[in-house]
Amino acid sequence: MNSIIDDIRAAARQLLADGKVDVVIGYEKGSLPLKSTPCFLRSPQDADKLIWDETCENNLATYAATTAGKKAIIAKGCDSRALMVLLQENQLVRDDLYIIGVSCPGVIDKNKIEAETGEIIEATITDGKVSVKGILCDKEYNFTDVKDAYCQTCRYPNPVLVDLKIGGTVEAPQSDFSDVLALENNSAEERKAYFKEQMSKCIRCYACRNACPMCYCQECFVDCNAPKWLTGGVDTAENLLFQTGRALHLAGRCVECGACSRACPQGVDIRALSRKVNKDVKEMYNHESGISEDIKPALNVYSADDPEEFLVKE
Amino acid sequence: MEQNPYLPITMKLIKNMCETEDKLINTFTLEFLNKQDEENFKYMPGQFAELSAYGHGEAPFGIATSPTEPGIIKFSVAKVGCVSNALHLMEEGTMVGVRGPMGNYYPMEEFKGKNLVIIGGGFAFTTLRSMAVYMLDEKHRADYGDITVIYGARNPGLLLYKEELAEWETNPNINLVTTIDRPAEGWTKHVGFIPTITEQVAPSSVNTYAVVCGPPAMIKYTLPVLEKLGFPPERIYTSLEMRMKCGLGICGRCNIGPKYVCKDGPVFSMAQLKELPSEY
Amino acid sequence: MKISKEKFGQSFDALTAEYQVVAPVSEAGAVNFKAAKSFSEVKQDYLNSKLPPKSLLFPQHEKLLSYVKDGKDITVKNELKVGKTVLFGIRPCDAKAMLLLDKVFKNDQYRDPYYFDRRDNTVIVGLACNKIAPTCFCSSMGISPACSEGSDLLLIDLGDSYNVEVITEKGKDLLAGLGELAELSAEEQAIVDTVKSAQTTSKVDVSTITAKLDKMFDNSYWDTLHEKCLGCNACSFSCPTCHCFDISEEVTKNEGSRVRTWDACMAPLFTLHGSGHNPRDKKKTRWRQRMMHKFNYFVHNNGDIACVGCGRCIKGCPVNMDIRQAIDGVNKAEVVVD
Repeated sequence: MNSIIDDIRAAARQLLADGKVDVVIGYEKGSLPLKSTPCFLRSPQDADKLIWDETCENNLATYAATTAGKKAIIAKGCDSRALMVLLQENQLVRDDLYIIGVSCPGVIDKNKIEAETGEIIEATITDGKVSVKGILCDKEYNFTDVKDAYCQTCRYPNPVLVDLKIGGTVEAPQSDFSDVLALENNSAEERKAYFKEQMSKCIRCYACRNACPMCYCQECFVDCNAPKWLTGGVDTAENLLFQTGRALHLAGRCVECGACSRACPQGVDIRALSRKVNKDVKEMYNHESGISEDIKPALNVYSADDPEEFLVKE
Repeated sequence: MEQNPYLPITMKLIKNMCETEDKLINTFTLEFLNKQDEENFKYMPGQFAELSAYGHGEAPFGIATSPTEPGIIKFSVAKVGCVSNALHLMEEGTMVGVRGPMGNYYPMEEFKGKNLVIIGGGFAFTTLRSMAVYMLDEKHRADYGDITVIYGARNPGLLLYKEELAEWETNPNINLVTTIDRPAEGWTKHVGFIPTITEQVAPSSVNTYAVVCGPPAMIKYTLPVLEKLGFPPERIYTSLEMRMKCGLGICGRCNIGPKYVCKDGPVFSMAQLKELPSEY
Repeated sequence: MKISKEKFGQSFDALTAEYQVVAPVSEAGAVNFKAAKSFSEVKQDYLNSKLPPKSLLFPQHEKLLSYVKDGKDITVKNELKVGKTVLFGIRPCDAKAMLLLDKVFKNDQYRDPYYFDRRDNTVIVGLACNKIAPTCFCSSMGISPACSEGSDLLLIDLGDSYNVEVITEKGKDLLAGLGELAELSAEEQAIVDTVKSAQTTSKVDVSTITAKLDKMFDNSYWDTLHEKCLGCNACSFSCPTCHCFDISEEVTKNEGSRVRTWDACMAPLFTLHGSGHNPRDKKKTRWRQRMMHKFNYFVHNNGDIACVGCGRCIKGCPVNMDIRQAIDGVNKAEVVVD
């Protein structure tokens, strides 16, 4: 990965030095092991702070609309799809963006590791191996075994929209919706019990919503008090209404970057809902969001040969 | 200390009256249901109460009556959201909840022996009415010097408390100056924004306190006028608004710096505000 | 003096008949404080709970009162419910945090009975920390991994027994019913000494932060601190000293209740007025509020910094906002003196 990070830093340095962008939004080393953190660089000499590895887990597209000026953004495959959707929804101006695209082998699921090792004291990633020293025990993993669940079914590791492409391409794993099918094949009782358990963990901190680039509504439905859709209560019913409401609002828009699941401090299985919605959208509309500039978000577009007949006048 | 400050007392809405021609502000008169409730509700001008429209919510409003008006309390409320809308539509005779009195109050002790100039804009006149009525009461009038009221609104229809204003016009114990923003048919009194009129008609600042309430813009432009006229920050008082919930200084919402507007305010002197961050 | 875990466990189980006993329990993959029916449910060998135990005294969702409408009439019912509780296994950082919350829920004018009636009926059995996480920094915040502030009884885990120390009268009363105590062996005493002298390894310097912040309200440091923050409530909800809440109504036809729910100053609509004016409408001002409140306003009002170094906000933040870095940033910020 070495030459990739050198190229990223060189590009950032040049863009800032030439005044082509006002800010470079990228990743720098975090204050915790196996954690990177978003950074906003405005001077060429700061470019050396940038990193690029399997800890680059945040979707930086979420900062695009709220950062002033012309911005360069480091974008993985999913992040570039998010930028595409935001452009299609008129939330961003193309000329304000300089997309530095990098193909992505996936990001680490830190929670999976810490479930075994306890809080991580030290860790290194070398040649596909993750060596961890934790409070409870030390362990070594293959990266593929601790890859984030979203990354394991990722179909677009290569950026779809770039101004500058750095590094090579990554082969997309053959993926299907078998994870969703497995859940669908459970009985209604089993599914009810599963979601009840997941929803009991949610504390309505809205980290998932705020981490998602596509959740940009000025007034989210949870904050609306006339009409009041949700109370402040955190019982499983309310939480399920929030989570499913959000998942449905993302139908045809979610790019499966996983930022929501990873943002959740409680480990709620948000992925179960978003993957199901995406499967339905693929089956009903043959649509995957943000993969091509010509393909608009599925639920925003009407066409005369829409398979749903209720809109078609005989 | 054994009381539950989150539990309202029940009061009856006996009058729901529209105050302004744009129908945005109504005045609600609430009646105490029993003597004990009234005994426990000893209040002073400047304080507020949390009014519950059961089924809709609770919100803080300045008390417009003076403690010299027994048996009732009044609130003047603008229609902006859930609670205020519910109150506007409420039928007389409906029971509502009241928690209070809350907050600090205008320093009536400190005002004793001094002249007062009371400046209000728009519907920020509620607690100023309380203070004026309090001072005009025969039990208190002799405690205070000259009282001047400068009250302005966009147009005549938007002035609150028209009955009181009419009475004060002819009352020798109070000097009333009303003004509207632009000339209107039939209006023979002052025309002009509050800061301008204040500069023209304000009494001498010697031995005088100023109390100013109004929208942020009005306060922003009136303060320099008062300072120019010689009012020091210690003798200029205002009442602030903030989004509130508990009203007890506990829920953390209404702070300006280390002070809570619900508990350490809403009345502040300009000298006190100068010590606080300007985040309001 | 020590009590064997076996005896303690038996007493624990017996206590559940008379008290609600809340202890760290592993549920759905995380350790949190929940009501336990038996000592066997208690998670041994845990570092700290995911969510702070403040939810025992200050639940995330709580009914304050309920009412029934009948035409124009109303019947209102106080929903304050208090029972006797034992809170077991609380770490020194969280016990200190309770003392800080005490200052919020009882101020110079008001006493919150929902918090305090419960508080007065709760016995806190603290458990000192044998292991220290890299994100813990309690030693820099005036306490330590074995600090007794806020606990009624303080236990130290010795393996198959607990070292017991009485801190308050309440603790003494509870101990009387727990069982026979025994002398410590030399090895056990050594463990106690080690735990008592332990310090957290992550350090921050808060010795001058309050005075510095007095001069920093308009400082340019706030311009960039907030940029990567998502503005969610993860930090506030996992903080043992955060106490902001919202009050709202939940209504079905003629019946309803007034509830309070956790809220956070990080939320954009937190300070939104009915008029539409919002004094803290920018993320910058909200992060400034968080730092100023914890390290300055709370000190001026209550004499203590509202942070106990538990590290939950650091671990829980999706974008790795680190309050230790923010403290460093404040310490290093340039103040223009006029």
